[in-house]
Amino acid sequence: MNRHSGPVVWIGIIVSTCLLLFLFKKILWLVVPFLLALIIYYFLQPATHRLVLQGFSRKSAAAITGGGFILLLLICAALLFPWMSSHAVGWEASLARYVEGGSRLLQKTMAGLEIQFSFLERASLSRNVSEQMTGFSETFAQRHLADLVLTLAAWLPSLLLAPFLAFFFLRDGRRFTKFIGNAVPNAFFERTLYLIHEMDKTARAYFQGLINLTILDTITLAIGLWVIGLSGALVLGLVCAVLAWVPYVGSILGCLLVVMVAATDFPLDPWMAYGAIIVFILVRLLDDFVFMPLTIGRSLRMHPLLTVLMIFIGGAVAGVAGLMLVLPLLGIAMVVGETVGLIVTDPRLQARYAHARRLKALQAAADLQT
Amino acid sequence: MFLFSKEEDSPRLKQLRALSLFSTLSPRELKTVDGLLHERSYLQDEVIFDQGEEGQALYIIESGKVLICRQGRPTEGRIAELGPSSLFGELALLDNSPRAAQARAAENCTLAVLFRADFLGLLETHAVIASKIALQLARHIGQRLRETVNGPGSQSE
Repeated sequence: MNRHSGPVVWIGIIVSTCLLLFLFKKILWLVVPFLLALIIYYFLQPATHRLVLQGFSRKSAAAITGGGFILLLLICAALLFPWMSSHAVGWEASLARYVEGGSRLLQKTMAGLEIQFSFLERASLSRNVSEQMTGFSETFAQRHLADLVLTLAAWLPSLLLAPFLAFFFLRDGRRFTKFIGNAVPNAFFERTLYLIHEMDKTARAYFQGLINLTILDTITLAIGLWVIGLSGALVLGLVCAVLAWVPYVGSILGCLLVVMVAATDFPLDPWMAYGAIIVFILVRLLDDFVFMPLTIGRSLRMHPLLTVLMIFIGGAVAGVAGLMLVLPLLGIAMVVGETVGLIVTDPRLQARYAHARRLKALQAAADLQT
Repeated sequence: MFLFSKEEDSPRLKQLRALSLFSTLSPRELKTVDGLLHERSYLQDEVIFDQGEEGQALYIIESGKVLICRQGRPTEGRIAELGPSSLFGELALLDNSPRAAQARAAENCTLAVLFRADFLGLLETHAVIASKIALQLARHIGQRLRETVNGPGSQSE
């Protein structure tokens, strides 16, 4: 089916994506669990599919996989909670230690650069950066850790919504397609259903690819960091892989995190931090050129220029949330926009719709004509 | 709202069993198929699909009559008039080739629609159901072929 749209449709898609981002920023408490639910849904879908293949009904399969996932989360929470409460006091000190380690590395690097380049020494770069970083690292943990914990606590109820939403997506996903199909006039029915199916296929490819990409990134980075001797390589790998879900900014944050840990674990050996940066860059390159085409591929079928442009627009309109949401939202707006565009610009479908409406009006007034 | 709708009861399954395509399915299998079917109502003279349009679904007549004709020529281009339990647009289930003729509602009718993507999904998840439907479909296409070769109403080889 021809899915090429004109510039007017594309402008409409971009404008509606921006408007949606603006709106979603206001109801982030609902949008984030919804997006997480979609990720969980596509993560559990293959297992549900396998159970259906073995003879379970869709409802039972959804109950087993969805219920199993919720149970697993509850067990993890029950196991983690005592550990978290016993270590919570030490977190502030650890965070401050890692920030300090990072700033120490930065100061050392600046001092090294000043020795190499005299103009940097004349600008007192090292001293200025050192003053700024000392103030920042001294108060960082006190200022931000409490806020972070409070924000997490406030987000917890809406995040808990995600597994339940995912369970209902698994159980009633097909009914949703039927529900949408029923709402569409006869003339547009086949084309709309085809595009819903295409949208589901694209979303499935994207989210399942994202999950596979995260696993591959985690393993590769963990192995790399473990080889150079960094502590907590697997956790670091996982955190960096999840941070990479936020395009560009996530990778930078992940890199900073790895550098901070390396600089703190090996304060006397700056080459360890540089090694960590090299490992990180190598894994990102591997991700971009090998893993990404193997997993996500071109599932969103967007031009790279448009992708980068939309990421900047997303960041400007809705901050970090905008960076995370902009690509999935653009994907949805693209399919909906193209569907509406195809229907609106197809004169035959419009004529059939108008004809059906005329018939309906005639039939409704049949016994009223004298 | 779909979240609160209850499951269809046995009259619906009986209605589905009466359709030739699903006549060999068990009640449990019919329930699965019913979850995939879309029900559409058409008014007399309303176009169901056009000749040359890319086919995405098979239609089964639950009630009413459907006229199959050449594009825009319902009288002189008439090919067939189908009644309840008949199916049409079946080639769309096998490939996405353009529709060979136009389908119009000859009178007010209700149709069950099986979307190709759902049928392909059924082939993966419920191979037994899909094979039973495919066998009925093959019988139907065979019957059409015999009619083309020997003339309408022929049953033998």
